[in-house]
Amino acid sequence: MQTIHLSEPWRVHNPRVSKVIERILNLLAFLLTVGRPVSAEEIRFTVAGYEQDEDEAFRRMFERDKELLRQLGISLELQATDAYEVEYGYVVPEGGYELPDPGLTDEERAALWLAAQAVRLGGQPSGPEAIFKLGGVPGAIGGEPLSADLGEEVGLLGDLFTAVVEHRIAEFTYREKARAFKAYGLVHRRGHWYLVGALLSGDIRAFRVDRITELSLRDATGAFERPADFDVNRSIPDAPWEAGPEEMTAEVVFDPEVAWWARREMGANAEISEEADGAIRATMPVAHPEAFIGWLLGFVDQAECISPPELRQRLLDRVGGAS
Amino acid sequence: MTSAKTAKRLTRILSMLPYVIANPGVSVGDLSERFGYRRQELIDDLNLVFLTGLPGYGPGDLIDATVEDDEVYVDTADYFARPLRLTPPEALALLASGMALTSAGQGPPALESAISKLSKVVAPEAEGGLVVDLKEPEFVGLLRDAVEGGLVVALTYTALGSGKTTERSVEPWSVFSANGNWYLSAFCRTADAERVFRVDRIREAAATDEAFTPPEAAPPPEVRYTPGEEDVRTVIGLGPAAQWVAEYYPVEDLGNGKIRFSSGDPAVAARLLLRLGEDAELIEGSEVAELLSDYRQRIRVRYAGTSPSGLSGK
Repeated sequence: MQTIHLSEPWRVHNPRVSKVIERILNLLAFLLTVGRPVSAEEIRFTVAGYEQDEDEAFRRMFERDKELLRQLGISLELQATDAYEVEYGYVVPEGGYELPDPGLTDEERAALWLAAQAVRLGGQPSGPEAIFKLGGVPGAIGGEPLSADLGEEVGLLGDLFTAVVEHRIAEFTYREKARAFKAYGLVHRRGHWYLVGALLSGDIRAFRVDRITELSLRDATGAFERPADFDVNRSIPDAPWEAGPEEMTAEVVFDPEVAWWARREMGANAEISEEADGAIRATMPVAHPEAFIGWLLGFVDQAECISPPELRQRLLDRVGGAS
Repeated sequence: MTSAKTAKRLTRILSMLPYVIANPGVSVGDLSERFGYRRQELIDDLNLVFLTGLPGYGPGDLIDATVEDDEVYVDTADYFARPLRLTPPEALALLASGMALTSAGQGPPALESAISKLSKVVAPEAEGGLVVDLKEPEFVGLLRDAVEGGLVVALTYTALGSGKTTERSVEPWSVFSANGNWYLSAFCRTADAERVFRVDRIREAAATDEAFTPPEAAPPPEVRYTPGEEDVRTVIGLGPAAQWVAEYYPVEDLGNGKIRFSSGDPAVAARLLLRLGEDAELIEGSEVAELLSDYRQRIRVRYAGTSPSGLSGK
């Protein structure tokens, strides 16, 4: 048993930082109560902490403060200050500041905190900030029940999660091809994160998140509906050769020495029968023959594809002629 | 202090305030514990809050934050009565780690209800849109118990690359998951060295009743491979369809699509080349070339022994 410390102590409270924090608290208090869009100029001359002589100094300071608000998770929008739309001001939109109460108990918060400590995303365990927002944890106690790394940068995943949650079209490059995509869900399976959903044409696709680059989200929320019959959980198959453009059923024999390993590797869709000597014969769906052949060759000559003949031939082609 | 640290401190203040507003008179001790404060840090933050408020900034406009008899009160700050919403990365990290634990059968019942409540709030329109699958292979439970109990384990292990099966006696240090695979970090008595084993390659495992003394500082649970002096080194040319190899394995990139691949056993490289077929070319490494040619020959012999349409036979 060990006590989990929620955070590293901040040893020194730098007065300059305290000034920033005071100013942000004043800015937030003003924005959350004023009830109308307020221009940067009004903020400058109303909110304590912006006593800047120079326009440029104020502009830089205000830009930094807006970025800080964004980091905190607060959304800030520009809206017209009157019906003539001559002047624009800042407003915290409905739902842009507060967390709706999930109604968590202390026990549930402690369970979440423990999970966040045990599981890493992109090599880092999450900081305590999210748990603070949920109301903190009284004296979280626990060991380390699991040590798992889900991989991936949490930044990219966070943006993709936003696309899923807000139903926004995600645009990205995948293997040098530009894509616009309706993000229905995120799946972590067999050690990788996948983005699943549909192209604008409606074709269902799954992309490996670690191969996605140049991601941006279109502004419009609610841009699509996830079809009622689309099951995110089933969109990424158990065995890698079950996802692909082809459709065939393979019959394979594994020798007794490797039967234990083959059993572990085959997906739930394989039908397996054991022979007298301990060898196993399996019938399984194959949609991605190249992935299947690669896997089967890992057994060298201790496995044999019996049928279909064209799959057998493709395997032999991969092995090649005399060398 | 960087802006990340400023953001952290602000987040803590804006999380602590709603708690005090909802629980007036909470003790300094309870509040500190809940939000990971040291006493003086909390007092400093409350003093700071006391200097802020609404324009006018007179006594009625400023936030009233006081500590009386060790009880904390915050008044005239109703606009800070609700905590901040979670950023998407924060929400994702909490949900994904919670789901990883429950899918591995590790979560307490409170975790399942917490995930369900949190999902409704952060992803109301995307129910079921996040799936984290971290199934545990056989023996993870047994190994975890042996780690906790400090008991020596007897393993039957089949090496990933070479396919060789060995019997080993190990002192288990930790069980962990990375990149979708489960690993056991241990001191291997048979090899007299520290080793990382892939759990799904453990054919049999049995805890003995022999206790061992764990090291004071066990190495961090991670998969590491550092090429050794006696390793077999090969140079491989990768075709376009085999470029993933350079990202998947710890290899040395030699440029022009060539990599240097090192492994303790030539079988690892030979099996990889067998898989890649014409997508890769062995440029240097005679030992591996011999093994590869042997593998290919064995496969051809096996396939020549059966008719394509039917009977298995050996």
